[in-house]
Amino acid sequence: MRAPAEVDVVVIGGGATGAGVLRDLAMRGLRATLIERGDFASGTSGRYHGLLHSGARYVESDPISARHCIEENAVLRRIAPGTIEPTGGYFVATPDDPDDYLERFQAACAAAGIDAEPMGLDALFRAEPLLNRQIRAAYRVPDAALEPWELVDANLASAREHGATAHRYRPVVGFERGADGGITAVHTQDARSGEGETIACRAVISAAGAWAGTVAALAGATLHMSPGKGSMLILNRRMTSAVVNRLAPPGDGDILVPVHTVCILGTTDITIEDPDDARVTRDEVEALLADGERLVPGLSGARVLRAYSGSRPLYDAAELDGQAHHDESREISRAHHVIDHGARDGVHGLWSIVGGKLTTYRLMARDVVDAVARALEVTAPCRTADEVLPEPAGHSPYWLGDRLAALEAEGGGDADLICECELVSRGRLSAALDQRADSSLDDLRRTTRLGMGPCQGAFCIPRAAAMLDERRADGRLDATAPDANEALRSFAAERFRGTRPIAWGDQLTELWLAAGTFRGTLAAESLPARSGAADADR
Amino acid sequence: MPTADVVVIGAGLSGLSCAAELAERGARVFLAAKGMASTHWTHGGLDVAAPDGAATPRAGARALAARDGHPYAIVQGDLEAAVTAHGGRMRAGGIGLVGSLDTPLVEIPTAIGALRPAALLPDAQAGAREPWGNDGLLLVGIDRYRDAWAPYAARNLAASGWPDGPRDVRAVTVRLDGLDRLRNLNARSLAHLFDDPAWRSRALRAIAAAVPPGTWRIGLPAVLGITTHRQVLADARAALGPSVFESPSLPPSVPGMRLFDVLREAILARGGRVQVGFDVVDVERDDGRIVAIHTEAASRTLRLAADRFVLATGGIGGEGIRAGADGRLDERVFGLAVSAPQRDAWFSDDPLVPHPLEAAGIRTDDELRPLDPSGALALDNVHVIGSALAGMHYLAERCGDGVALASAHRVAAALAAARIAA
Repeated sequence: MRAPAEVDVVVIGGGATGAGVLRDLAMRGLRATLIERGDFASGTSGRYHGLLHSGARYVESDPISARHCIEENAVLRRIAPGTIEPTGGYFVATPDDPDDYLERFQAACAAAGIDAEPMGLDALFRAEPLLNRQIRAAYRVPDAALEPWELVDANLASAREHGATAHRYRPVVGFERGADGGITAVHTQDARSGEGETIACRAVISAAGAWAGTVAALAGATLHMSPGKGSMLILNRRMTSAVVNRLAPPGDGDILVPVHTVCILGTTDITIEDPDDARVTRDEVEALLADGERLVPGLSGARVLRAYSGSRPLYDAAELDGQAHHDESREISRAHHVIDHGARDGVHGLWSIVGGKLTTYRLMARDVVDAVARALEVTAPCRTADEVLPEPAGHSPYWLGDRLAALEAEGGGDADLICECELVSRGRLSAALDQRADSSLDDLRRTTRLGMGPCQGAFCIPRAAAMLDERRADGRLDATAPDANEALRSFAAERFRGTRPIAWGDQLTELWLAAGTFRGTLAAESLPARSGAADADR
Repeated sequence: MPTADVVVIGAGLSGLSCAAELAERGARVFLAAKGMASTHWTHGGLDVAAPDGAATPRAGARALAARDGHPYAIVQGDLEAAVTAHGGRMRAGGIGLVGSLDTPLVEIPTAIGALRPAALLPDAQAGAREPWGNDGLLLVGIDRYRDAWAPYAARNLAASGWPDGPRDVRAVTVRLDGLDRLRNLNARSLAHLFDDPAWRSRALRAIAAAVPPGTWRIGLPAVLGITTHRQVLADARAALGPSVFESPSLPPSVPGMRLFDVLREAILARGGRVQVGFDVVDVERDDGRIVAIHTEAASRTLRLAADRFVLATGGIGGEGIRAGADGRLDERVFGLAVSAPQRDAWFSDDPLVPHPLEAAGIRTDDELRPLDPSGALALDNVHVIGSALAGMHYLAERCGDGVALASAHRVAAALAAARIAA
């Protein structure tokens, strides 16, 4: 057991909201620490479509969320320009989309303060030649692509600059409560070493999103979340230069977001019991492709690299008003709610921040930190919209050309590329490992894009595993980091999970190539459980 | 006027071997393929049959032949002659083939330091399966070459409890001349450097200088030359010991490229023709027979007419069989029926164990002619060989090369005999 730490506020959850909360607390002078059960941004934040919402998608169904989105859209462009690719976005009416929605759309946007500018079809098809020529109306909106891992990283970096700390692989396992029922400490356990830790605190903010119900229950409070599974497909190239949305009430397969060198087709919405139930079903894949065809005819013939899903942190606010629950996940508002479990459940010192969108993470953080600051009698105002976030590692994450230029500057050429699909060099991986010596290969993926291209790790997995092992042997890896063989197996399994629902055509052939290499040539299935380097340091 | 007696489609081990044998037996043969195939992305050894528990390739093939629907149930009897003929072709091309169907399967190290069973190997890899006696194993990595992981492999082998393995495993990484200036450094570019006698001599000296005192057998990345491999191997043995061996890694496979080159030459030397790089775009049929195929070519499509067609286009990995988004599997050239499990049962949960879909393929009669789902003959003058055949788990059973050779031999021998009879 480590010596007890003491802070003002413990933040639970290392997604965008938790990282934003930590930064806000630290900028107001509060001593704060964040604990995350897995890697930072490995939950919903790292498993979304990459869209910085203009709000136009929710302009009719959810006007409060729409207004939040457009306001925060402007704020993020100012404070986090390095994480955003300003692609712009279109709302397009396909022949299947309802006329009445089209008629109401522009006025609803105007009411919400969203600049939706009508776009001539000639200009639209010149800009986006692959779009369905049956599209009969289009509006331009300020959507953009947003890189979630860089955004979370930047918030954590800024929080650290202001004195906060953040720990990954540190799930909360329990709470200590004082005589008045208020929380006095948080118990955590290192997920890798098993070592326990107690963090004494005056308040706890649960930013656990879809998992907030579980966290609340640990503290003796009740919070009924309604996680909505959203599944997405990654197509192997950018079919459009801008984000394209269907001009219709939100449905499956109605958003196409160009991200890096690929594009992402989203999103289904299915209410699930367990937010860890992230399996993408064949029905979802078929529904996404069928609807995507309406935006880009022939889209379903394109190469799909991967399917994945995230769990929306939906909270049915009907519960607050004593009303019946909504049946459909899509009917639940995307707006956020600050829940004071002291007032509601007698668990003083615990607040949950639920609902919301990645686009509105900063506003969510502000609102919950406002409430906590009031309770702690801290008067410093929120300044997170005023101070620009640290730039992501001195490069623009979006432009492959930047990575190519960096590679050429290193002088290495192909020889130093560990991941050829995503141009991840040996130097880039080394730097990421220097920064986080406890990384698994999947953690490195979130920091560097390792293994995210068409081959889904067939070539980079053994190369990167050998690098991990080298560091383990040199004593440059954290003792809690996974051993190279465990890392190889778990990353291969993780990449396979995303390929399996979309394994047909070229991607199935690619999977067979990987299987031939892994099992045929390398016999990876017969690797010892742990490499000699791991056993040596035990 | 037919283009050839037999048109072979596909340039993997089965197609190349079948075309070579047909040419050797005097048939006019044309091999057409859409691209390089299995040779370039496999280890270049000879996986004949090594299901769990098999002591030799022959015993392995016999065990597999007893499995329901396995290709060896039809072609096991062709294996002996096929392997012998393959060994002859390899030797003529400057690559020895060490071992036989009765050579015991023993564990040899892979590039990441796992173990796989092997009996028949090209002579450059054969040192890995000689008894270790008092030898230690020294794995040699090459600085900056990203696909040789000598230290990682050595640590894995040390942790692996290798039965009858070497007394000790160590790794060294050597710096070879000029590699820091080379931007494109892979197995193929290294092999080309080894083909250069002056560079090779410096490299082998540098490797020899890195060997610690004691008795060490040396394992190198599989990069010992392509065009002058026989000489490179001889020089490596002179410098580093007679049992020095190559360990294949990620594609592109240099041992596989050598294999491809040898077999291609064997076809051309007997008057056969080889066209690689163009896909089949059309098929002419007449009453249950194929009359001709059309391939893409540089400026126009090429019509290839023949009496017989051999389909050696591979399975899913070789793209002879292609899956649609709806889960349907299509044989790409003739549209033959593909035998496969239901979509929901395609995969196992762990990527490193066999997937039921790997056994997908074409069912045939004893002459390897394709059957339709009812079991009736689908095409009278088409024969299916290699990984396009249904019923094998070529990775788990390590039988892909053996089935390729045996099925190629069965068809080539039968067609040549029929031609002489006619």
